[in-house]
Amino acid sequence: MARDGESRSYRRKFCKLCFDKVDRIDYKDDRRLSRFITDRGKIVPRRISGTCARHQAQITEAVKRARILALLPFTSDQYR
Amino acid sequence: MKLYETTIIYDPGLEEARINEELDRVTGPIAQAGGEVVEVQRWGKKKLAYNIKKRRDGTYIHVKHKSPATLIGEMDRRFRLNESVLRHLTVLAPKESPRAAEDAAKAETAARTEGDLRPEPAPTAAE
Repeated sequence: MARDGESRSYRRKFCKLCFDKVDRIDYKDDRRLSRFITDRGKIVPRRISGTCARHQAQITEAVKRARILALLPFTSDQYR
Repeated sequence: MKLYETTIIYDPGLEEARINEELDRVTGPIAQAGGEVVEVQRWGKKKLAYNIKKRRDGTYIHVKHKSPATLIGEMDRRFRLNESVLRHLTVLAPKESPRAAEDAAKAETAARTEGDLRPEPAPTAAE
């Protein structure tokens, strides 16, 4: 039997936004932003999503703006 | 003068004529203060991600404008006093780079094919 670590298939994380050559993330683009929040509405950390620092900063800014405009939730009420 | 983007969420109960009236109250002072209204987008009635003032929907209006900085504070004050405004947000518009314009165009087409309500943007000078 394979040892721990060997049994898991390992794939290197990469920044999806760099891959798509995204220059700027728009706070109005709630469809794209929704990929970077959890089902509870939290912003997915870099260590999970693999996003690069530049894009993560942009996501954070954009998600916060989108929340103000009620395009994205601050939290999901089904868990309240 | 800097380029700003203002998004306003109005009460969904307002009819078209009232919205136009409200919009004039936004665009009027901009022109008066020597600014310029670059673009007005009507996103229409959208579902809110969370309730605001017990409303589930809101009528979204997005205005791109060049305004003197002193007007932004005044606009903010007026939105706060206006009961029909559920929410408003004014941010500096991103500086136009060729890549950004391209991305925006791509995002727009993608959004449209998925049946988005947002209207076709006015063609820019770069195109």
